[in-house]
Amino acid sequence: MGNFIDLIIFFCLIALGYFAGSRAERKHYRSIREREEKFLTQPAVTFGKFQGQEEVAEARLVAGSAVISVDYFKRLLAGLRALVGGRIKSYESLLDRARREAILRMKEQAAGADAVVNLRIETTSISKGSRRKNTVSTVEALAYGTALYRRSQPGHS
Amino acid sequence: MKFTPRRIREEVNVSREHPLKEFFVLVLGISAAFVAAFVVLGLALDYVVPHIDPELEDHLGGVYLTFFDVDEERTAAEERLQVLLDSLAARLDEPGREYRVHIVPSGEVNAIALPGGHIVVLSGLVKGAASENELVMVLGHELGHYLERDHLQGMGRGLVLVFLSSLLLGTDNPLSNLTMALLGSAEMQFSQSQERRADEWGLELLLGEYGHAGGATTFFQRMTEKEKGKEILSLFSTHPFPRERIQAIEAEIRERGYPVRETAALDESLTLPE
Repeated sequence: MGNFIDLIIFFCLIALGYFAGSRAERKHYRSIREREEKFLTQPAVTFGKFQGQEEVAEARLVAGSAVISVDYFKRLLAGLRALVGGRIKSYESLLDRARREAILRMKEQAAGADAVVNLRIETTSISKGSRRKNTVSTVEALAYGTALYRRSQPGHS
Repeated sequence: MKFTPRRIREEVNVSREHPLKEFFVLVLGISAAFVAAFVVLGLALDYVVPHIDPELEDHLGGVYLTFFDVDEERTAAEERLQVLLDSLAARLDEPGREYRVHIVPSGEVNAIALPGGHIVVLSGLVKGAASENELVMVLGHELGHYLERDHLQGMGRGLVLVFLSSLLLGTDNPLSNLTMALLGSAEMQFSQSQERRADEWGLELLLGEYGHAGGATTFFQRMTEKEKGKEILSLFSTHPFPRERIQAIEAEIRERGYPVRETAALDESLTLPE
């Protein structure tokens, strides 16, 4: 009987993880694509010097970070994958979403800048002590860079 | 260099395979490997078990007995069951073998033949019995397991299960409990023939003891009645009372023309307090 209840809970968690997780992911990707389209003309590059920007009036640090959680289904899939080895495909989209969301947030912070140079991305897993039960494993992506403005921005000197 | 905005359409960082497909491939593949390992180890056990010597068996029995809440002090009910058991054991042509019965408090209806001749009877079973004959049938059934050396095999299979599932999934994992339950019940199906043979022994011993086969199936029947409506759960039940077993015993009684007479009342010491 106890096993039976465990089983029902287990399947509910899988279903919840799968349906809620894929819904959240679809929604997130839709928003990411929309905003990427919006910021398409905003340059963000990994090199330090931007040609034709010699007359820089202001340079500012901009950063965007995003934390994306894993769902029960993805974790189960990764656990099964960990038994036999290979690519953990279920985590790929999490990292992809985190990185792109972080860049978008950084660009949002840099709104009005002529360019963001020296863009860097860092990824951290914030699931310290994940060996313990019931710790939520999540991933954080941090994107940061230097926003360059040709003209001084109002409100900043 | 001029900045030219360009859309990137390819999603190179995310695999396109559907997660459900990956899930089913992994689940099926891993379960297949799991079952294969279980079968292979089970066969290896079948080979080893006949060679286990009595000393090792006694030792194992002691280890297993510690898992149960066995009281050193003998209760009146245990003494009475022991008398019944000794009388049955005397009918077996096996000198030097000692059997000892223990009653362990539990709501479950079950009896377990542990290595070293320790028979653990859960108190739920004693409470569920209506006559002495029924208890003798159960004890005879367990003695049958010893004669067929099923107890060692069952124990070994249980170990293999625990070993495999904790190896794969770690202990205390809902998934591991699930696999245990599923494989355990699969094992139950495999061991149906063992149960059938133990039933035959039980019937033989019952007949030898009382001269008739009364009470051979009444206990199982009552338990089946009780489990009615819970059929879906029987997949997870540790000790199912399938109708086929009852039918097999009844067929045997008919075939051999065993008489069925009035059963003996339970000794007062065997009426356990609630």
